[in-house]
Amino acid sequence: MGQYLPVFALGVLAVVFCALSLAASRLLAPRRATRAKNLPYECGIVPGRSAPERFPVRFFLVAMLFIVFDVEIVFLYPWAVAHGSLGLFGLVAILIFSFAVFESFVYLIGKGALEWGPRGDEQPGGAQRRATSAVVRLGPERGEPGMIAEAAENLSGAPSSAATQESSTSAGRP
Amino acid sequence: MSVFALDPAYIGGFGLSEALILIIKVVGAFGLLLVAVMLMIWFERKLVGDMQNRIGPARAGPWGILQTLADGVKLFFKEDLRPAKSDRLVYRLAPYMSLVPAFLVFSVVPVGGNFTSGDGTVTWFGNSTFLQVADPHVGILLVLALSSAAVYGIMLAGWSSGSKYSLLGSVRASAQMISYEAALGLSLAAVLLQAGSLSTHEIVAAQGGWNWNLWVTGLVPALVFVIAATAELNRPPFDLVEAEQELVGGFHTEYSSIRFALFFLAEFMNVITMSAIIVTLFLGGPDGPVLTERASWIWGVVWFFVKLVALLFMFVWFRATLPRLRYDQLMDVGWKFLIPLSLGWLLLLGALRVGRDRGWNTAAVVVVCVAAGAAAGVLLRLAVRSGRRESGELADAEADAGEAVNVGEPEKGS
Amino acid sequence: MSVFSLLVAQNVVFWVIAALMVFAALRLVTTRNVVHAALYLVGVLGGVAALFLLMGAEFVGITQILIYIGAVIILFLFGIMLTRTRIGDEEKTDHRNRLGAILAGLAVAGVTIYTVIAGFGDAELGADTRTTTAEVSDSIFSQYIIPFEAVSVLLLAALIGAIVVARRE
Repeated sequence: MGQYLPVFALGVLAVVFCALSLAASRLLAPRRATRAKNLPYECGIVPGRSAPERFPVRFFLVAMLFIVFDVEIVFLYPWAVAHGSLGLFGLVAILIFSFAVFESFVYLIGKGALEWGPRGDEQPGGAQRRATSAVVRLGPERGEPGMIAEAAENLSGAPSSAATQESSTSAGRP
Repeated sequence: MSVFALDPAYIGGFGLSEALILIIKVVGAFGLLLVAVMLMIWFERKLVGDMQNRIGPARAGPWGILQTLADGVKLFFKEDLRPAKSDRLVYRLAPYMSLVPAFLVFSVVPVGGNFTSGDGTVTWFGNSTFLQVADPHVGILLVLALSSAAVYGIMLAGWSSGSKYSLLGSVRASAQMISYEAALGLSLAAVLLQAGSLSTHEIVAAQGGWNWNLWVTGLVPALVFVIAATAELNRPPFDLVEAEQELVGGFHTEYSSIRFALFFLAEFMNVITMSAIIVTLFLGGPDGPVLTERASWIWGVVWFFVKLVALLFMFVWFRATLPRLRYDQLMDVGWKFLIPLSLGWLLLLGALRVGRDRGWNTAAVVVVCVAAGAAAGVLLRLAVRSGRRESGELADAEADAGEAVNVGEPEKGS
Repeated sequence: MSVFSLLVAQNVVFWVIAALMVFAALRLVTTRNVVHAALYLVGVLGGVAALFLLMGAEFVGITQILIYIGAVIILFLFGIMLTRTRIGDEEKTDHRNRLGAILAGLAVAGVTIYTVIAGFGDAELGADTRTTTAEVSDSIFSQYIIPFEAVSVLLLAALIGAIVVARRE
């Protein structure tokens, strides 16, 4: 028996639950948003640096490898379910398939795509590594005065006196 | 009314009794999950409190059991903020995408029934039915599909917030979740090999009479599954996603009020549903001694919840005991240990079964398999070594790309 | 419940899903926000999965969710998030040659529709057309064994390609 109607019904119920909670919060919660409140979180100070523009390519390689293993899983499941009737033939077929996938996996590891730690060819914290990594990490998020000015502007629009005070100090900084 | 006939379960007609069963099951599961989440949050806080020699929540209700409810009510009255730089549509969509899959996973879990001396069904209003909301043919595949859909909530919440902590948290979380999902899926295949079916009640039925997959499949798949599940749930020691010391709150840093509560709910609901899945797959589901002949399905419910609470205790214990992993350790454990191990173990089990059917010498099969596994292990080890050397080049390539971006963008100000 | 009304119900649900899919597909190409486009693509692919389920192909339907929504679109989103983290509309998502795009789209649609009609004609699905996982397995490991093994080589090639691109970048 395949049953998807109850799954669908439970999903609808879950969506309704979310929607009702959000509606209730809209009715009950105060709405006094100021521009200062709507700034991204930065431990109470004016946000200075935005998020890095680029992330390491390894994340992308992990997602790629995940697709490969997902496809392998999808082929493994039918084999696992029917392995009795498939017998030796099925086992050999799945072994060849797994070998090919394992091979590409080993190749990827061998090329260092899954290395997240310090580089193996140097001492951790070596001079060269620090130079290059500093370029990567700090480069795109080097202080952007435009954003600070914008944030300060936002703050000066805020009514609270504390915020105004803070904005005057931050405006005086650059 | 004819729309209901689309569902193969109702081909015989969708009468009053079917409708009643459907409503009871769906509403029952919904209520059960909400109450269970409420109790789970209290249980975790109280237990961690005990383990750290504190009292824990003690004010609201007896033993502080209503603490979660009080917190929930409080959150309704908190201001709901949306950061100025956020993406409105996606920011609002993300809590739904997180909570809905959490609810749906539970629908394929059989929570009771007598699988030991009966076929696991109960008779309601003249219809015999399993004690699970839905019984798709490919139940376990549905669980896997839903848990991969759960990545969306976290990924989109982090991206749409327009805050660097959220973004870093969500990129980390998504990479972690997809890495461990592969291990989850591979370790699960050993169970399918044993049960010969993707349907959850057949997996449970195959484990009847103490033939639990925990030992029948040889412990390794169960251990891999539990580790991968902990990582998939972003629970300690794999909670780098919301490592408070470095990322504030991770992907939900910018969420406040009830939107935050929905994420929190989804997180704990996932713990409960994942524990229920572990019980179903490896601990025999509702299997256990049936002590009375009348209403024997009740014992299934009892044993199911006993096992569930034991697993929940284990997850809380992890949190109170284990220190957080580093990101490179996390990735290494997932990719270089769990995934090859579970794949190798699955092939070993498959070879053993084929060998048994064809009457091969079991010892010889084991020797050949272990030799092949050792060869694969050596290959992997060599690859890891060469990877450590080669990783420098990849980093250099990234550094070049980073510089290219900087050169391309005109300097602002200064 | 007669087979006739069952087919009517299937048709109704089919048209609802199809309408949602067409809407999502149109928004997919017209939206200027890349992440929104990826989410509309999730809608289209979810519709495909629903259609598979409607036709009783449970394994294929859930696999569609697992592979396409759970892995491929995640890869897209990773690609988007890792390269441009700024939120908002983009200028370069539009293309001047709209007429050419529309013509190409119509041509693809025409070829697909022609293939489907030529292949299946007016054949009808019965009342209970579910395919079990064992049947899927049997056809993978007999009729389609060569494509199945070829997939593994394809995956190998894809991974090597990915690492080459990543290192040269």
